Amino acid sequence: MAGVEALPAAAPAPRVKAPGALARLLAHPSFRWGLLLFGAVAVCGLLADWLAPYDPLRNNFRTRFQPPSETFWFGTDRFGRDILSRTLFGIQVSLRIGLGVALVTALVGGAIGAVAGFWRRADGPIMRVMDALMAFPAVLLAIALAAALGPSELNVIVALSIAYVPRTARVMRAGVLVVREFPFVEGARAIGASPTRVLLRHVLPNAMAPLVVQQTYVFALAVLAEAVLSFLGVGPPPPTPTLGGVIADGRDFIQEAPWISITPGVVIALVVLGLNLMGDGLRDALDPRLRTAIR
Amino acid sequence: MLRYAAGRLVSALPVLLIVSLLSFGIVWIVPGDVAVEMAGPTATAEELARLRERLGLTKPWHEQLIGWYGALLQGDLGESILLRQGVGAAIVERLPVTLSLTFTALLIAFVCGTALGVLAAVRAGKAADRAAMGTALIGFSLPDFWLGLVFVYLFAVVLGWLPTGGYVPFTQDPLGWAQAMILPAGTLALSQMGLFARMTRAAMLEVLRQDYVRTARAKGMPGWIVVGKHALRNALIPVVTVAGIACGVLLGGAVVIESVFSLPGVGRLIVGAIQRRDYPVIQGGLLLTATIFVLVNLAVDLLYAALDPRIRHGRR
Repeated sequence: MAGVEALPAAAPAPRVKAPGALARLLAHPSFRWGLLLFGAVAVCGLLADWLAPYDPLRNNFRTRFQPPSETFWFGTDRFGRDILSRTLFGIQVSLRIGLGVALVTALVGGAIGAVAGFWRRADGPIMRVMDALMAFPAVLLAIALAAALGPSELNVIVALSIAYVPRTARVMRAGVLVVREFPFVEGARAIGASPTRVLLRHVLPNAMAPLVVQQTYVFALAVLAEAVLSFLGVGPPPPTPTLGGVIADGRDFIQEAPWISITPGVVIALVVLGLNLMGDGLRDALDPRLRTAIR
Repeated sequence: MLRYAAGRLVSALPVLLIVSLLSFGIVWIVPGDVAVEMAGPTATAEELARLRERLGLTKPWHEQLIGWYGALLQGDLGESILLRQGVGAAIVERLPVTLSLTFTALLIAFVCGTALGVLAAVRAGKAADRAAMGTALIGFSLPDFWLGLVFVYLFAVVLGWLPTGGYVPFTQDPLGWAQAMILPAGTLALSQMGLFARMTRAAMLEVLRQDYVRTARAKGMPGWIVVGKHALRNALIPVVTVAGIACGVLLGGAVVIESVFSLPGVGRLIVGAIQRRDYPVIQGGLLLTATIFVLVNLAVDLLYAALDPRIRHGRR
């Protein structure tokens, strides 16, 4: 057993006590900046209960359409609700949904991709179904699914996960297809390890890196798509404050009160930019050869 | 080439079959009664019965499925409940808007994206590279529907240069068409522009390292000819394949952008149908967009094979 385990270590160039993965990551400027951006917005969202100056749901007809001022830093909407407070709570919803979709697609898509890549007979049928799912524009499919399932946060996660599962499955499959040909896998087979054990113990751990990178991008895509769904009114139902929903609130008043839509859009952009930067950093740190392979 | 084309065509068939099954199945995931969902809470029992009859919901599911395929083979996508019009006709009527939006965006994304990518590759590691890649990154990080609103505010409300929305057919008034198209297509193009820029940069860096590029330089050929003719032509091959996928993403993005700019396209038809639970239109719209995507990708693959003999002869 020990001999088999030693093989993968012997394959790459000799390591000179490489710095830990985390240190390497933090040394990467993209990742650092991404983490800073994403982290700053995420912390604001998580602390919304303390940071929000007003109740995000309370209507106040005396303060309707207030432009940004000292009392309302980012103005108010047509019900006199504070944009800053609504945006802060909207961040929570976006992050919950983005993280949920990233985790669900990692598990489901990862499993589908691993099976397709490892058991060649299952590959054809599984990937045809994935191709068919991929043929629907992801956002359109998610809108239709979310509408059919009915408006709720959980249904948004389900709809977006179905829309983005094929990407994850493809990346996982590609990784497994490469790793399964390595000599150490053959070694494991040769000493009589069961296929399930070979897959779980030897192939998967070595095919994980692209998945981790991909899921960072899926997180970003899900945040963007959730905003679209909420903007079109098939996201979490009102009065839940969502970033896309606040943008939709300001849409009809873009002439008179442009501040309503501007703030949440900037926040979405910061979250997504942060996640994309982190993804780029992870990609470079985990495997430089992936530079062009994903995305 | 013919064998490759035939093989590729055959492999598209199961995908189309599953696509049509999934489009049909969207009604089945609606929790509860589709008819109640569509007609609203005020509907009488009689109205519900009539709606069920029209949708064919009174039949068992296998008969509905056979009916769906039977009608599909005759090019019949069913009847819109709200528009009182055939779904096929409703879509065909609006298709020019969506297609001109999608393809104008694709053109903008491709031209600007490859230009950015070439610039970044030629100046790799320098300030211009970082600026180009920064632009690309920001391009696909901004929510496009929000950016559309910001553009409407800037160019239509503040500056008054362009209309806030609406559509003018190209055949009626080309200039009006261009004015109506530039903001939505530009907005839609931005995210894919970023991806094209990244792809082009990566492909260019790869190609610029090749021996024949060095040879061209060594024999004293001007730099811009080496980059533009020798390198770019070869670097573009993988970029063109991405255009097929970009086309699908843009078709999806068009759904939202049409709503933002009040363009009377298929996207707005589908969004309206979703908001009013007009399921036949949703099914037809999903099926049609996915079919367009499959066909475009088929065309791209065939084009790719025609351009690059290694594809049709070698193993993929």
